[in-house]
Amino acid sequence: MEIMDKNFEKEVLKADIPVLVDFWASWCPPCKMVEPVVDKLEREYVGKVKIGKLNVDRNPVIASRYQIKGVPTFIIFREGKIMKREVGAKSERQLRQMIDTALEDASVENK
Amino acid sequence: MKAHNADKTCWNCPAAIFKGNVDFRACGQSKDALKKFKEDKQVMIECERRPELGHFDPSITFEECPEWQLTEYGYLLKNMRVMILGIDGYLGWSLALKLGSLGCEVSGVDNFFRRNCVEEKGSHSIVPIASMDERLQAAKEVLNIDIKFREIDILDRESLGGFMKEVKPEAIVHYGECPSAPYSMVDCDHAIKVQYNNVIGTLGLLFLMKDFVPESSLIKLGTLGEYGTPLTGRALFEGIFPSDAVITWGDREWSLGGELTPRDPVSFYHVSKVQDTFNVYEACKYWWLRSYDVMQGVIYGVYTEQVAADKRLRTRLDIDEWFGTVVNRLVAQAVLGTPLTVYGEGEQIRGFIALEDAMECMVRLISSPPEPGQYDVVNQVSGLHKVSELAEAIAGVANGEFGRSIKIQRLEDPRVEADIHPFEVVSQKLPNQFGFRPKVSLEKEITRMLELLTQPEIEERIRKVSHTIMPRTWWSGEHKETEVLEIYDPGTKILEGYQPKLITGEPEKQVLIKVKAKIPAPSRETE
Repeated sequence: MEIMDKNFEKEVLKADIPVLVDFWASWCPPCKMVEPVVDKLEREYVGKVKIGKLNVDRNPVIASRYQIKGVPTFIIFREGKIMKREVGAKSERQLRQMIDTALEDASVENK
Repeated sequence: MKAHNADKTCWNCPAAIFKGNVDFRACGQSKDALKKFKEDKQVMIECERRPELGHFDPSITFEECPEWQLTEYGYLLKNMRVMILGIDGYLGWSLALKLGSLGCEVSGVDNFFRRNCVEEKGSHSIVPIASMDERLQAAKEVLNIDIKFREIDILDRESLGGFMKEVKPEAIVHYGECPSAPYSMVDCDHAIKVQYNNVIGTLGLLFLMKDFVPESSLIKLGTLGEYGTPLTGRALFEGIFPSDAVITWGDREWSLGGELTPRDPVSFYHVSKVQDTFNVYEACKYWWLRSYDVMQGVIYGVYTEQVAADKRLRTRLDIDEWFGTVVNRLVAQAVLGTPLTVYGEGEQIRGFIALEDAMECMVRLISSPPEPGQYDVVNQVSGLHKVSELAEAIAGVANGEFGRSIKIQRLEDPRVEADIHPFEVVSQKLPNQFGFRPKVSLEKEITRMLELLTQPEIEERIRKVSHTIMPRTWWSGEHKETEVLEIYDPGTKILEGYQPKLITGEPEKQVLIKVKAKIPAPSRETE
């Protein structure tokens, strides 16, 4: 899904499941190329993790709030807090690992 | 079905001028730049074409915007101002007429480099072409197209910049380069001439675009030859690795997604194109210029609806060893009745596309501009063929419909190249993102070419310069004749090499591509 300045609070900070946000830009080839993987994972993790993309140029408010200085930046939010943050293109396996680790950490905390 | 560019928005439109609270430098550049954003302000634009709208959110789609009008090639900006560098050339002239007939305001520059180089070889365009004055007049009379032309060398930045300021192009098509591998291999002077014109010309152009038309898109012509022919058989991706390409080293793994794929140019001319690729890529990164870098297959043929409309509108066709591309050269040999020449084993595989299809691709790219800062690469090709198979196809048409009895001859290969090699090309973007479907088969265009080239006036012009067809420019630096290795009848040769593979499907259908580093992994990490 597309995450924007105006829906960030509702879709990310107040979400009831963890959210992975892919901060991207049109001028960033790695961002463009990683897009199909992010879309695929979004479909796959439905109900467990919400996955969305935020264009940093179109949504400068959120991009500057989170000090996005390199793209792509992947941030996993849970209950409004940053759980994990990584910069640079990721392979599908690495993205899965990032999400799965965050899910495991969340379930440990919940116990 | 929706047009390929219906959902593009103001972000893609050259008429959108950003007004405040957007700074592409903010990301990846400086922490300080981030500070100047005002949290309470939204990104706004002003439309250069409709300033009366004031400032608004850049979210109007091409489908919704009255400035973008539906054509058979998708939405096209009304009276779009397109500047063609190298407008007098084989492709430049064909594209000028096509764009003009679609309602674009076409402008162009040329310094007649190509006419002069072909003359230097002692050759001429076998299809007679009119002078630029006559061409412009005929375009007006026959097609009602006004083309704004200036005789300018792209190395003359002052004149080119002045023309750009005057015209304010919304897209620039860069055909203003020397497109010949053999010409760059003649000697040191020729190599320098090609690299200087191509590399420095393009670099200067990028600075001019930054200063005068940063919203304009650059359609830059590269070549599939930039990639070379990797003997591993690795697919030739569209310039940039897909996200599922990973490099593994020992037990570690990194995504290659978004990184430029390796280039392995095959002549000093091809090196100039690779250098261009890097310069354009950097300019997009530094200044948020937008560009499609088009890795063209070899273009062949003589036909577009517009160039065929009048004798004075025809585009040039070269057959000399420097500027004659393979199909055009072989068809001319078929007209003369001489054996068609292939180099070495003749199993070099290349990508090809007919002139008419190539021009359609260009229109589709122009009509769907990249976003600010976006650098993208497309492989523009409609089929992959072995050179000897091309010779077979041309001989087939010539010996059939045209009653010739043509043979094929193998020559020593004057180039340093693999004459048997695997070749797998990915060309997914033009069909899937730009709605392109090739319309012209190889046989169809060969037939059109033979119909035109067998006209007595043209056949006579081929005969006059037939001595320029055979290769004499060796990559070794020597200048000598090439020895004939074998002459054979079409249909009698068994080819033993690789089958070409063209991948045009949807990106999701691709399997995981793994690139493994050859160097052994160290047993432990060292600083």
